Amino acid sequence: MSSLSGVDAPNNGLPPGKVAAFNTADLLRRALAGTATRAILAVALALLITAILILIAGKNPLLAYAALLKGAFGSLDRIIFGLNKSTPYILAGLGVALCFRANVINIGAEGQIAVGGIGATAVALSGLALPGFLLMPMALVAGAACGALWAGVAAFISLKRGVHEVLCTLLLNFVGVLLVSEVLHGRLGEQGAGFPQSPLLPRTTWLPKLVAGTDLHIGIVLAVGAALACHILFWRTTFGFRLRIMGASRNAARYVGISNMRQTMRVMLLAGGLAGLAGGVEVLGVHYRLIEGFSAGFGFNAVGVALLASLNPMAVLPAGLFIGFLEAGALAMQREVGVPSSLVFVIQGLTMVFVLCALGLRGERSKV
Amino acid sequence: MSMDIAAMADLATATIRIATPLLFAALGGLLSEKAGTFAVGIEGMMLAGAFSGAISAFVFGNVALGFALAALGGAVTGSLLAFATARCRADQMVTGLAVNVLVLGLSSFLLRGLFGGRAPVIRLTPPAAWPSPWLSDLPVLGPVLFRQPAIVYLAFLLVVPVALFLAKTRAGLILRAVGENPEAAFAAGSDPVRIRMRAIIAGGALAGLGGAVLALQEVGSFTDGMTNGRGFIALAAILVGRWTPVGAMAGCLIFGFVTALELRAQSWGLPVSSYVMQMMPYCLALALLAGISRSARLPASIGIPFIRH
Repeated sequence: MSSLSGVDAPNNGLPPGKVAAFNTADLLRRALAGTATRAILAVALALLITAILILIAGKNPLLAYAALLKGAFGSLDRIIFGLNKSTPYILAGLGVALCFRANVINIGAEGQIAVGGIGATAVALSGLALPGFLLMPMALVAGAACGALWAGVAAFISLKRGVHEVLCTLLLNFVGVLLVSEVLHGRLGEQGAGFPQSPLLPRTTWLPKLVAGTDLHIGIVLAVGAALACHILFWRTTFGFRLRIMGASRNAARYVGISNMRQTMRVMLLAGGLAGLAGGVEVLGVHYRLIEGFSAGFGFNAVGVALLASLNPMAVLPAGLFIGFLEAGALAMQREVGVPSSLVFVIQGLTMVFVLCALGLRGERSKV
Repeated sequence: MSMDIAAMADLATATIRIATPLLFAALGGLLSEKAGTFAVGIEGMMLAGAFSGAISAFVFGNVALGFALAALGGAVTGSLLAFATARCRADQMVTGLAVNVLVLGLSSFLLRGLFGGRAPVIRLTPPAAWPSPWLSDLPVLGPVLFRQPAIVYLAFLLVVPVALFLAKTRAGLILRAVGENPEAAFAAGSDPVRIRMRAIIAGGALAGLGGAVLALQEVGSFTDGMTNGRGFIALAAILVGRWTPVGAMAGCLIFGFVTALELRAQSWGLPVSSYVMQMMPYCLALALLAGISRSARLPASIGIPFIRH
């Protein structure tokens, strides 16, 4: 059993199922307690190490972190910026968490987001004579479908030809990102823009604002809804149950008649759909156009969010918000204190390594 | 006709040049994978090598020192990965990915932080080609194979000792045993955790050298994220080469060839966009893996953490 899929095997057992049916709150609390401790410790340790790096760079870490906090939460605009930034990470992170739970290591969110962005843009620019309230959802659905298709290709190659899904998804990330450049230099590109981008999308296809007069779009509502749906899907449905068994042991799953292939394909399609939706939301809600490289780093963040959440769908929500606000704050920190914002990658990378080590060591304890 | 030969010789020279950093990385990754650890982290180890190599060559003005410290940078990155995966049993794939991003951030941060907030302009003179005596005078083959920089010969010569080490030495046998059946190796008196850690760290040093070839020999500078997926291509080369050093070398040459072709296709005026051409190595990697994967046999215990009972 991989140290990933067994995150809470020992205390939660497999099904909360019928026995714990009336006890969701308690289950959630227990699951999140371990997750939260792990996440907070990992983040604290990562921040401590990065503080030393800031010192090496000749800056005051306290000032830098203060600027980071202020940049993340300092004003309503900043908070809204952070919320919008978190949205795609939550959506894509949910899919990654479900895949990892089933021991399907899908790290293809980057490509799936990129291709999802293409799908959403293509529909939004299609010039279909439809009212906006139809065209916008259609664009989002197209984004999700394209993301699912991209994940499906990886899953297909992986399942049919026995290539490890990590390599399939990794390699397709590069292809997906290049595909964005390709369409922007071709059919979807804006003539004479000087930068590889699509024309501005029709206003009717933009995501509506949640709070009028601000930049906050409805994406965050979609993200919360998706988290709830994934929570129910994972803990309360046969599909989720199958995923959990598969994650615990492929052999056990086969023994009870679960087709590992079919479940892998399904969870990959689901994750790809969520990532593609994230791409669509980013295009229709933030940029209002497709931009080259708009998905850069999103795929990794999705994995980071899923791990920080210890692969609990509900915990993906706070984890995604954390990463989103961390990035928002880091951009401000770079402006204010002159500490390079690439420090965020260091914090994220370290946090992930610590969470992974904690999960690995925990797996050992449960076996003893 | 002579034109064609010149073009082909140019293509072959470029193939070898592009394959060199991949080959270092693939040999490094091979050590790690043979001992039972997926080498997803070679991308990060390469980047660490490229960074430490370029920075030290820039600061100390010594390219040889640059190569040495590049190996060190790769090894340090490897030891972090080794500690996490072998000691703490962290998931190998995802930890590799995390380390890749950690190195990406750290190198980008230090490139600015170490030099007062602004990235310095790094221009390094690549070591000149070193024509090997009399071999370089061979017709056609001479210029292609034997008028390369010294580090290129080193990369291809290294295939032999690595192959011999794995196939013929006691240490190599134990390393492979740890990758196949760590319990048996443990019962026979070796420590799988320590051997896996050593393999990853040694692999990191090699991958670091690969990164240094890129930074010091090919580009003569360091830019953020300059390895840009080469580590993953090296990983694919290992698989395509079915976990043998010679096979990995062949894999690297194939990917080097496709990249060289991609770089030249533009000037040939093919009716294909440069982005489609850039997709070629990745698509080829997928196609090759899909073609051979069913028949390839992974080290049996790769990806499974060793737990002492």
